[in-house]
Amino acid sequence: MANKSVWSDNRFWQRSAAWVTGFASVLLIWLTFDTMGQIAIGTDADLQSGVTKRVPGPTVINYKISYEMSTKRGHEVPVIGEKEKFFGRDDYSEEEAGALLHLGKLGSQAKNCMNCHTLLGNGAYYAPDLTKAWLDPAWQDGGTMQAMTGKSTKEEAMAEFLQHPSTYPTHSRMMPNLGITAQEAKGLVAFLKHMSSIDTNGFPRNFGRMQGAVNGK
Amino acid sequence: MFEQFTDLVPSFFGWINQGPMTLTIFLHTIIVLPMFWIYKQEKARLEQEG
Repeated sequence: MANKSVWSDNRFWQRSAAWVTGFASVLLIWLTFDTMGQIAIGTDADLQSGVTKRVPGPTVINYKISYEMSTKRGHEVPVIGEKEKFFGRDDYSEEEAGALLHLGKLGSQAKNCMNCHTLLGNGAYYAPDLTKAWLDPAWQDGGTMQAMTGKSTKEEAMAEFLQHPSTYPTHSRMMPNLGITAQEAKGLVAFLKHMSSIDTNGFPRNFGRMQGAVNGK
Repeated sequence: MFEQFTDLVPSFFGWINQGPMTLTIFLHTIIVLPMFWIYKQEKARLEQEG
């Protein structure tokens, strides 16, 4: 057949499909490794030498974390500042801090926080987003949540609330009592503090800044 | 079209993705260009066979 079109030729489509599939496979494998580098957790040495990591090391709980607008990036970014006491200490070693975060992570999974809350974009919106809960103005000095628990620091107020959520009327969708122990609450607060220091490209947007915000949302 | 590089951790994809659509345009270009080459090869083969 002299005038057979390339468009109706099987071999052209086979080769094109093979090229696109092969390229996409290589790209996805490359992206996987690229992402692993992006989300790898930092170390204590990184924190001390001021190396910026998307996910800082566990010892970030020894530092003050604030949320500041970056005009360059067009959204707020977590900024790691001076040393700050966390449950009366600011000298947690990498192992201690790591163990605390691990306990908090296991606790958050065991108590199924995601069933109601959102953590780093995963979970539900029945209850407030926890991604930046540590930076929620309501938990700061003078904030309504801290005042309600009668504690003088953010971490103690959060730990107190986590242990007895049903005694603090916060919302019509009140958090149930989950039987969280004092040590588990400490771990969970450390987990929340570390999570708030993760650079999430400004997610959730306008956290704690919206007019008439309830619990930072 | 090209904006400041703002990623925290430098990477090839971050470098390509400097503005809206730039990564998409880049990837589509390098996927589609070899298909012209495949097209021409197949056309030449069909003409030869014909």
